[in-house]
Amino acid sequence: MTDSVRATHAPAQETAAATATATAPLISLEGIEVVYQIRKGFFRTGQVHALNDVSLEVAKGETVALVGESGSGKSTLGRVSLRLIAPARGRVVFDGQDITAAPEESLGWLRRRAQIVFQDPFSSLNPYFRVYDLIEEPLIIDGVPAEERRQRVYRALEAVDLVPAPRFASKYPTMMSGGQRQRVGIARALVRDPDYIVADEPVSMIDASSRVEILNLLRTIQTERGVSFLYITHDIASARTFADRIAVMYLGTIVEIGSAAQVIDRPLHPYTRALINAIPEPDPRNRFRHREVVPGEPPTSGAFPRGCPFFSRCPDRIPGLCDIDRPMLQEVEPGHFVACHRVTDNVASG
Amino acid sequence: MPVAKRDSAARSVLYSDGMTAPAPLLAVEDLHLHYVSGGRVVRAVDGVSFTIERRGEAVGIVGESGSGKTSLAVALMRLLPKNVVRFDGSIRLEGQDIRALSEDEFRREIRWRRIAMVFQGAMNVLNPVLKIGDQIAEPLQLDGRLSKQAIRSRVNELLVRVGLSPEFATRYPHELSGGQKQRVVLAMALVLDPDVLILDEPTSALDVSVQAQIMNLLKDLKQDPGISMIFITHDIGLASDLCDHIAVAYAGWHAEYGPAERVLLEPRHPYARLLLASLPRLRATTPPQPMPGEPPDLTNPPAGCRFHPRCPYRFAPCDTDVPPPIPIGDGGHARCWLNDPGVAGDLYLAHLKEPAGVSHD
Ligand SMILES: Nc1ncnc2c1ncn2[C@@H]1O[C@H](COP(=O)(O)OP(=O)(O)OP(=O)(O)O)[C@@H](O)[C@H]1O
Ligand SMILES: Nc1ncnc2c1ncn2[C@@H]1O[C@H](COP(=O)(O)OP(=O)(O)OP(=O)(O)O)[C@@H](O)[C@H]1O
Ligand SMILES: Nc1ncnc2c1ncn2[C@@H]1O[C@H](COP(=O)(O)OP(=O)(O)OP(=O)(O)O)[C@@H](O)[C@H]1O
Ligand code: SF4
Ligand code: SF4
Ligand SMILES: [Mg+2]
Ligand SMILES: [Mg+2]
Ligand SMILES: [Mg+2]
Repeated sequence: MTDSVRATHAPAQETAAATATATAPLISLEGIEVVYQIRKGFFRTGQVHALNDVSLEVAKGETVALVGESGSGKSTLGRVSLRLIAPARGRVVFDGQDITAAPEESLGWLRRRAQIVFQDPFSSLNPYFRVYDLIEEPLIIDGVPAEERRQRVYRALEAVDLVPAPRFASKYPTMMSGGQRQRVGIARALVRDPDYIVADEPVSMIDASSRVEILNLLRTIQTERGVSFLYITHDIASARTFADRIAVMYLGTIVEIGSAAQVIDRPLHPYTRALINAIPEPDPRNRFRHREVVPGEPPTSGAFPRGCPFFSRCPDRIPGLCDIDRPMLQEVEPGHFVACHRVTDNVASG
Repeated sequence: MPVAKRDSAARSVLYSDGMTAPAPLLAVEDLHLHYVSGGRVVRAVDGVSFTIERRGEAVGIVGESGSGKTSLAVALMRLLPKNVVRFDGSIRLEGQDIRALSEDEFRREIRWRRIAMVFQGAMNVLNPVLKIGDQIAEPLQLDGRLSKQAIRSRVNELLVRVGLSPEFATRYPHELSGGQKQRVVLAMALVLDPDVLILDEPTSALDVSVQAQIMNLLKDLKQDPGISMIFITHDIGLASDLCDHIAVAYAGWHAEYGPAERVLLEPRHPYARLLLASLPRLRATTPPQPMPGEPPDLTNPPAGCRFHPRCPYRFAPCDTDVPPPIPIGDGGHARCWLNDPGVAGDLYLAHLKEPAGVSHD
């Protein structure tokens, strides 16, 4: 990122610099703002502010998990990073190239180098295509010659452990289990040999016992091929296992980001703490105690609150400050950033 | 908040046939529910037994997709689809075998009045054009016994009980958040004051922080008014947040059943052990271990032990002989030959030597 960019996006200054990673980032998102136009009834239209000044970098070979409540903007941020959505404000840089406003026709190279794996392996695969055709399709678009296509399809199937590859290649998705279909979804992304994969809830439709297998598979792909991942999930425990860093989103902003251990073992934002307290680990003593909860639910829509996005639910809020001044991300220990006016108290209290 | 501890299950088994102890609130024994589909029999519930000793106890039914959890609920509520080809076993409610009742008796006396249910996804099928209060009141209005005024106060009382204010009675579903809708659905199930409430994945559509609020509410409802619950989930962590007993469903069986402490800390069935080991955990020191193999096909389950193709501990009898529910001293059971010293010999409980289950920090 250059100084001129920083100058033109003042609010992004601290955050963009703050979340920088040691190695050169593959993806760099700076001061991203997204507003959706929605219809409300026949004549009225409205706006959903989905992202408000979000900055995030993903290094080469790194996995960053995005966690947070439904509607907090995780998928939107993933789509911006793939330039499936152009942000209203901010900058999107992929491997040094500014793609913020690049026209779709000029993004052919990005469509090959960056891929997405969806949450639902059932609806995202055309049921009338054999597995072979499903995986081959993107290569036809890329103009890869037929013989090379065949080799690459089989290699992709082997990479996701659907072996013997020729046997799986001839199946239809309906003949496969949820876990196998999700492998097909991953093979389809891998076949183009991408540098970056957005995995949007890739295991949420799969049985708990098969999830680890898919996550381990993604981890292997990451280490063997040096692929960068944006792993979007509700499941903070899996983020711990699978991601290098975790970013916690609330109402269109990143409220905390750090290494997986920092965020889970030393959460400092009141929302992150609430999120972690809310997760029951299998422990028979759980039933004898109430879970600590924050009351209420995130507001669904409308404009961003002026101050802290968590103000309406925060047990630690400071009226007169938190509802007026928006807290910016601050680095509280190397690599660990928190956006909260109370952060110094929270650091002190552990 | 302490929850009444049940007596040792072994005692209740001894007493259950006698005259001296009261019958358990709900005792399900050797229950079967089979469907026929495309000319093949689906053994969705295939010999399942469990007991809820008294009011305010909860049993969790945990298992993968297709293991027969919803089918068990459907059998208990007797909401059978047309393609059911086998429905037998006993379901005793305070000693009375309600499975033997006629449909007419069951509808008049049991369904919704004594056993009620919150269906998978119920919050998404609230009637969009009916006010919340009217939706909750509907069974009372049909019943015709209460005055308009009494119905209104019952609805208000229920709304308050589930953590909403009485003003919600005049709202429409679209004005409610997900968590609020789930509270309304709970109020609807409680309207006829049932003894047993079946909850099928009641929080899976909710965010974790809202899910925790609902779980706290369910804990309260166990205490007051003392509702017993059958809590169906694929999330064993969630089951541990509510349940006194846990059944681990596998391919139409309950592979393991027993007190939550035993099932979570010292599971006796290899599947239960592997399931616990496969969960990513927030504070685990060891990484989660993938579960081997693929889930079974219920129209053609493996011979012998249904888990044998995936079981790392299988031995001589496993691929031919069906393991019965082998009792464990605490009133629970495990359908695994390793628990029978006569069959397992030197291998008796060999799987317990490897770490599994939940260790306390
Ligand atoms: N195409 C769209 N049109 C209008 N609003 C949208 C659109 N996509 C998302 N939104 C809104 O933008 C906000 C952020 O949505 P997004 O899908 O990014 O959240 P998310 O964190 O991925 O949620 P989930 O966990 O439910 O997938 C939400 O309020 C959502 O309703
Ligand atoms: N009406 C039906 N006719 C035929 N087969 C059925 C019917 N209902 C369910 N099944 C089958 O019975 C088995 C058990 O289904 P059930 O819905 O009870 O599972 P479940 O454990 O509730 O799964 P999930 O976690 O996906 O809800 C599955 O193989 C399912 O396909
Ligand atoms: N009458 C109401 N009672 C309870 N909650 C409400 C009511 N109206 C709205 N809400 C909740 O308040 C939040 C904001 O809703 P609000 O209606 O103000 O905005 P909106 O959803 O953008 O508008 P619209 O209803 O026109 O779509 C939502 O979570 C909604 O469920
Ligand atoms: S800034 Fe204030 S309202 Fe926001 S999380 Fe921190 S203490 Fe709570
Ligand atoms: S009976 Fe045999 S195959 Fe089945 S769980 Fe026990 S050891 Fe494994
Ligand atoms: Mg999403
Ligand atoms: Mg079900
Ligand atoms: Mg609304």
